[in-house]
Amino acid sequence: MTTLSRFEIHQPTCALEASQMLAHYGEEAGIYAGGTELLLAMKHSALNYRHLIDLKVVPGLNSIDMRNGSLEIGATSTHRSIERSPNVQQHQPALAEMESQVANVRVRATGTLGGNLCFAEPHSDPATLLLVLGGSVKIESAAGAREIPVSELIAGAYASNLQPGEILTKITVPSAKPTHRSAYMKFQIHERPTLGLGLWLDTPDEGRTFTSARVAVGCVCPFPTRGLNAEKLLTGSHADVEKRLSEAADAIADAADLLDDHEGSAEYKRHLIHVFLQRVFRKALGESLA
Amino acid sequence: MKPLSDFQIVNHSVPRGDGIPKVTGGAIYTSDMVVEHMAWAKVLRSPFARARILSIDASAAKAQPGVIDILTGYDLKGLQPYYGHGVKDHPLIAIGQVRFVGEPVAAVIAENELAAQEALGKINVDYEELDPILDVDTAMAEGTPRIHETDFADGSFRGFDDFPGAAGNICQAVHVGWGDVDAAFAKAAHIAEGEFYFPMVYAYAMEPYVAIADFDAKGHLTVYTSGQHPFMVRHDVAHVFRLPLNSVRIIVPYIGGGYGSKSYTKIEPLVAACSWKSGRPVKLQLSVEEAFLTTRGDDARVRIRTAVDARGHLVARQATIHLNTGAYAENSPMVCRKAANRIVGPYRIPNIKIDCFAVYTNTVPASSYRGLGGAQVTFPGESQMDELAEMSGSDPVEFRLKNLAHSGESIHPGMRPIDADIPGDIREAAKMLRMDRPLAPGHGRSVCCSASDAGAHPVTLAMVQVYADGAVSVLSGSTEIGQGSHTVLTQIAAEEMGVPLEKVRLIGSDTAVTLFERSTGASRTTTLMGRAVLEACREAIAQIKVMAEEVFAVDADKLVEERGGLRHGGKFLTWANILEQYFKMEGCSIVGRAYLRKAGDLTLVPVFWEIGVVGVEIALDEETGKICLDSLVTIGDVGLAIHPAMTEGQDLGAATMGLGAGLFEELIYDGQQLMNGTMLEYRVPRFSDLAKNIDMKLVQNRDGVGPYGAKGGGEGAVNPISPCIANALYRATGARIRTLPLTPERVWKALQEKKGAAPR
Amino acid sequence: MNVSFELNGKQTTLEIEQRESLAEVLRGRCRLTGVKISCEAQVCGSCTVLVDDLPVSACTLLAYEVRGKRVTTIEGLADDSGRLHPLQQAFLDHFSFQCGYCTPGMILAAKALLDENSAATDAEIVAHMNGNLCRCTGYLPILKAIRQAANQLRGQK
Ligand SMILES: Cc1cc2nc3c(=O)[nH]c(=O)nc-3n(C[C@H](O)[C@H](O)[C@H](O)COP(=O)(O)OP(=O)(O)OC[C@H]3O[C@@H](n4cnc5c(N)ncnc54)[C@H](O)[C@@H]3O)c2cc1C
Ligand code: FES
Ligand code: FES
Repeated sequence: MTTLSRFEIHQPTCALEASQMLAHYGEEAGIYAGGTELLLAMKHSALNYRHLIDLKVVPGLNSIDMRNGSLEIGATSTHRSIERSPNVQQHQPALAEMESQVANVRVRATGTLGGNLCFAEPHSDPATLLLVLGGSVKIESAAGAREIPVSELIAGAYASNLQPGEILTKITVPSAKPTHRSAYMKFQIHERPTLGLGLWLDTPDEGRTFTSARVAVGCVCPFPTRGLNAEKLLTGSHADVEKRLSEAADAIADAADLLDDHEGSAEYKRHLIHVFLQRVFRKALGESLA
Repeated sequence: MKPLSDFQIVNHSVPRGDGIPKVTGGAIYTSDMVVEHMAWAKVLRSPFARARILSIDASAAKAQPGVIDILTGYDLKGLQPYYGHGVKDHPLIAIGQVRFVGEPVAAVIAENELAAQEALGKINVDYEELDPILDVDTAMAEGTPRIHETDFADGSFRGFDDFPGAAGNICQAVHVGWGDVDAAFAKAAHIAEGEFYFPMVYAYAMEPYVAIADFDAKGHLTVYTSGQHPFMVRHDVAHVFRLPLNSVRIIVPYIGGGYGSKSYTKIEPLVAACSWKSGRPVKLQLSVEEAFLTTRGDDARVRIRTAVDARGHLVARQATIHLNTGAYAENSPMVCRKAANRIVGPYRIPNIKIDCFAVYTNTVPASSYRGLGGAQVTFPGESQMDELAEMSGSDPVEFRLKNLAHSGESIHPGMRPIDADIPGDIREAAKMLRMDRPLAPGHGRSVCCSASDAGAHPVTLAMVQVYADGAVSVLSGSTEIGQGSHTVLTQIAAEEMGVPLEKVRLIGSDTAVTLFERSTGASRTTTLMGRAVLEACREAIAQIKVMAEEVFAVDADKLVEERGGLRHGGKFLTWANILEQYFKMEGCSIVGRAYLRKAGDLTLVPVFWEIGVVGVEIALDEETGKICLDSLVTIGDVGLAIHPAMTEGQDLGAATMGLGAGLFEELIYDGQQLMNGTMLEYRVPRFSDLAKNIDMKLVQNRDGVGPYGAKGGGEGAVNPISPCIANALYRATGARIRTLPLTPERVWKALQEKKGAAPR
Repeated sequence: MNVSFELNGKQTTLEIEQRESLAEVLRGRCRLTGVKISCEAQVCGSCTVLVDDLPVSACTLLAYEVRGKRVTTIEGLADDSGRLHPLQQAFLDHFSFQCGYCTPGMILAAKALLDENSAATDAEIVAHMNGNLCRCTGYLPILKAIRQAANQLRGQK
């Protein structure tokens, strides 16, 4: 068995104290949430913290509430609790469904949404979907609090824009309106998905026209990426959009920094974007995929 | 022959002997064991594929708290540090140079795992990097330096007759042939020709390699190990430490999977050397990531052509097989021999020329992998059968039927004739798959088969102890690796001795207690150990019959044997009764024994032909290239199933393993570095890969040399799965793929090429 | 540090190091070796134990996390009289294991599912069990066992 080297766990009483602890121990300390990524990285000496700040003991950080038309999800909410939350199931069903398919039951029982986003693993399912659902995160530290969109949290592969001492405390996701259509799909062969594709559409008329669209791709590139040019192609009449799906897929692929690696060639990944844009479009509109 | 209906215990799916421990957590594996005063070892591994070791400075590591001792290649004075049953080329720890990334360079022995692990980082090794030799072509090219600069002595336990290749980087060469292939190809009506590639695979036994070694004060060595061949390990370890065989005791508790990867010697000499150096019992538990760096399967490049005449009869096959054997021979010489034999398939082919080479490279050593060369060569062989069927304008099933050897027919001159009904099996598989149904779009079906010369070298010795209270113990040197051998052996003893199954106990896998059994593998245990147990029971009974003359006070010919004992008129005595009355002493027991060797009906090789027959229907997602199994059928032509449910379980397990290599398993090297040596990246079959429809059937013609006509199973189904999927894909799409695994991307690319469209 | 938790129905307090995984503590300190270790990366599920009835990977979860919780291992599944849990019996009946290394984790993962939903469909069983690997059986015998136990547990309700 690979054993972990010694460290000390600290139990802050509030986010501010957690931030102070981080500042106090500096490079030797890290936030510890579900530990699913952190402990694995520590086992392989990719991270070497001597102090872990256990965020899960901070009261209230694992709540899931509806406030002002948005879901407010505490950073230490587990994938499982989000998947099972009646609030999420009712107000953002695409999120609940995506969460029910992250990793495996054991990872879902312990891994947190906050940890997933902060770790910025290129294969994150939630990050990709949250980009199109318009998710934002609240970041707190001794210096104060700020709220930024998920897209600004992610700096690159395994890199977030959190400053030293900063803690992600809350994820806010606007609830789905009756005019919204959204879906997330992934293509998976390995332990983590090969492709993730999220789509969000606003349609005032039951899918005949789309006034606004957001689309994002993950896994195939160093970090989940929005296809801003594609989004323009995805607005207009249903028939026009359908005709432009292929063009939009190329625009998504162009926006993403497609990687040639052992999960697949950039060429194949581009092709998958084509296939899955068709599929996710039909799924978002509730059409049969068969 | 006793009719099937007469069996009371054999041929019934009785509860497994290891069942309760395995469902309650009570089953103890080597990884679960601790012994008094035990220390822990951790291994420092080479970061280079080929390098000289200039120096090792372990002083700082040695000074760490909790560290007891350090072992390096400089500490082996007095030992014979090179081991290997085929070629003694493998140092128990790197000596002077390293030959693959991951090779053990130093071991820390410490009071606990953490101390050992942390000390690893304090060892300084100075290397002189050399150009690594990473692929077969480079290794064989003129001017390439030798990976092993010396010629090595044979291991004495090869159990096969080929001599090591020992030329350049060729570890082993095997040539098989008869007839005149050139003449036959010249006259052929159709020729299928191509180059195929079977990937580098990892068996992923869920319990990684582990051993505990303990040199006691008298210099006796006890090793607990997850290895599946205790007697082969004993041989190697005794050689390394120059010990007599009775000073080395190898004990094998439950084993968490093997599939070939735990055959022969792995980490035992290293762990024993740690104990020898430190004077403490030492446990070394590898992680799965280290297991990836310990053994893999040989990847194979096969250039092959096969010819038919105008009437659709196979006339010739020629193949050149290159196995990438990695840094050490391990069991690859045998894989080489078997691949050469098995590529012929179960067909009558009058002209054959096979050249097979196991080639050293600076990669993880390859060794046995379920099917022992069979999977690597059945893929090209059976793929070409479908290609030739098409060229001949015949249905693939009919084409096979026309060419398959029938029972009693010989496919290899001088070898045992086929002891199975392969045409019958193929017909049955085609029927079960309902080949005549129309195919949905993206669907394709195929039935494939293989024949493997199985059983390895037949030296199998067994004892049974028959007690005066009616109990029976079977002492067997074969290991319970999940295949259920311990259950099967007790069934045979219970059947023969006429006692209830609960009265039979299996004492297993302790070289100090049980007699020699060459190996547990090559699907041999039921056939050979089963037969040895049967004969040992019969031998015990023969002894008791002599005693019975005195007990009954009549001549033996007046005594009638009935199930469980002897009758004379109205008087029936069980074997136990007779023993009790003979010795007039409670608690005594006698021993029956059997010594099987390569003699009598076990003279001919192979011991038996292991048949693999499977059929699949695939469902292809044509857009992504992803293949799923709609249906899987397997036929187990096993002579007689001692335990039908477990026999089917072997077939499904083997088929599922074959599915892995067929669809997604592949170790990937980037330069000298293994890229995907973790379970996060190496994908094995999961629940969701289960075929929608599964149908399994056992064929019991009692045509084997094992007990009651039984033959082995457990490896057969692994071989024909990948060509079956590839053939079904061809049926569905017209795309012929000759490289495994059939990953979605590879399939998609092939479909693109097929369409003639430049890939987008 | 000390952790107090309920282990297989018994209140337990142990002195542990914070760096220790639950598997290290259960296997090493409690000698509950039914917790098996394989991938050490949350992939294979052989180390599955239940914490407050949820399946977790003991290879990665810190023992620190079970403070005040209920931990169930395979050793705690049979009832006090030694009668096997319906899943254990079903695994025996269907020969749902060979080497048995994955078995404790399989049974516990299945228990978590059936405790929550004894009417699980095949698709739900497969989705739930997909994170537990078995290299021996080819899964079908395990699926059959879970179906049988589900039937039986439904009958008991
Ligand atoms: C086998 C396996 C399979 C997986 N498969 C998938 C998959 O298919 N899809 C997918 O999306 N994910 C997958 N994951 C990743 C999983 O979703 C994440 O591991 C999990 O959600 C991370 O959360 P955590 O609480 O465990 O984070 P931790 O491991 O505790 O932390 C991760 C990192 O984030 C930091 N951190 C955590 N929380 C905060 C915070 N609130 N503020 C600041 N920093 C913080 C930590 O310091 C650490 O550096 C998989 C993981 C594993 C082990
Ligand atoms: S050992 Fe924990 S999941 Fe594999
Ligand atoms: S029974 Fe061996 S891994 Fe499942």
